[in-house]
Amino acid sequence: MFDFSKIASVFSWIKNFFDYLGASREEPPPGAAFLSSPWWLGIWWGLLIGLVLLFCGQTSKFIYIDF
Amino acid sequence: MIFNSFAYFILFLVPAAITFRLVRPVAQPWVCIAFGGSFFVFFSLTQIGGAFGAACLLIFVWETIFSRFYRQGSLLCFVGIAQTILFLIVFKYWNFLTGLAFGAPRHNPLYWAGAFLPLGISFFTFEFIHYAVDRYRGTTPAGTFSEYMAFILFFPTMVAGPIKRYQTFLPGLREPSLEWAADWRVGMTRILVGLAKKFAIADLMTAFTNHLNHADIARAQRWVLPIWLLAYGVKIYFDFSAYSDIAIGSARLFGMKVPENFDWPYARANIAEFWKHWHISLYRWLLDYVFIPLGGSRCRPPRVLVNLLLTMFLSGLWHGAGLNFIVWGLWHGMLLAVHRTWSKWRGEPKSPPSAAGTVAAWATTFVTVNLGWAFFCMDLPTATFFLKRLFGG
Repeated sequence: MFDFSKIASVFSWIKNFFDYLGASREEPPPGAAFLSSPWWLGIWWGLLIGLVLLFCGQTSKFIYIDF
Repeated sequence: MIFNSFAYFILFLVPAAITFRLVRPVAQPWVCIAFGGSFFVFFSLTQIGGAFGAACLLIFVWETIFSRFYRQGSLLCFVGIAQTILFLIVFKYWNFLTGLAFGAPRHNPLYWAGAFLPLGISFFTFEFIHYAVDRYRGTTPAGTFSEYMAFILFFPTMVAGPIKRYQTFLPGLREPSLEWAADWRVGMTRILVGLAKKFAIADLMTAFTNHLNHADIARAQRWVLPIWLLAYGVKIYFDFSAYSDIAIGSARLFGMKVPENFDWPYARANIAEFWKHWHISLYRWLLDYVFIPLGGSRCRPPRVLVNLLLTMFLSGLWHGAGLNFIVWGLWHGMLLAVHRTWSKWRGEPKSPPSAAGTVAAWATTFVTVNLGWAFFCMDLPTATFFLKRLFGG
């Protein structure tokens, strides 16, 4: 009913996509070369900075640091 | 608040990374030392430990001097390991261990009222031990005084890892990347992703996880309890992976790469794979310096299971000086032992796993890992009460 290998390769692509967005992967996945353009980088940074500014008012400690 | 503070970026990371790039190679380790030492003192004074904590910078000085006497096969390496463990026992476990012997502080004649934790002690001691063991084995070069001190005082990873290895750090220190643009693009992206994960996801979960206390658990409707626990599982992943992103991105600004720490651990289909992808640098440290020296997988099956339990017992104890952390570690040790026993009994699968089987395996792993967080985030009585309410009503 389901082509499991196809589903697995889709998941793999999604993982690589998010890994590239998170900068833990150097190259974008196949078909997502647009992610390496300066325009996309600017949009992505803007979104991240916006999220940080929107949510940074909370009291915040890192769990593993404050043993 | 350290890695999500303005002081970290403005006083330390940006000036250090730029200075590091601009000075001559011979001066680069000293840039790491100067900024790392200042970082340790500044955040000890302002966040944890105070003046006594700041004075613990002398531990790094002593360690660097003593490590110069390490040779392959030398017993001095063991002295180094012993003194590092002693630092850890005194600062982190003194009140816990004496409390086990004598009970509550008011009954404990050895209770240390002024106990404090030097910044990052759980992590930098593991790097000290790694270096001593690998020098004994002859699997890492000595490096110079300044290079080793730069390694242990490298502030992006000093406080909470990733736990580095000297033999992979040294080439990056001696010949850092000269690709300014690419390194800063990747590094800054990584840092911003870490900050967004921390503020926009991890911290939002606090609204749920704040309820993980005895009073709220007693009052809550039963269906809410797994939501609170799941929220903690989400929080701890995004919190710690966010810190790791900031640390790894920060190191990249210097042109250096440090180990990855997380690789989609909650997507893994068994507990062994979970541990290979959760806090990866700690998993590798435990594998190389605890599990394998105990005999690893080369012993008879019962001994292998004991080795697993002992390794995870130490992992739990390392995470915190409390019985709840020990139970958490043993919970994972038991899961790993069950997984290993079942895998041996099943043998090599004759065909790839079915979709239903993979989903079931993933769900089992996900649920058992998240149940374990109950012991991580609550003391033992509260965690026990939580699980009784969760399963017993």
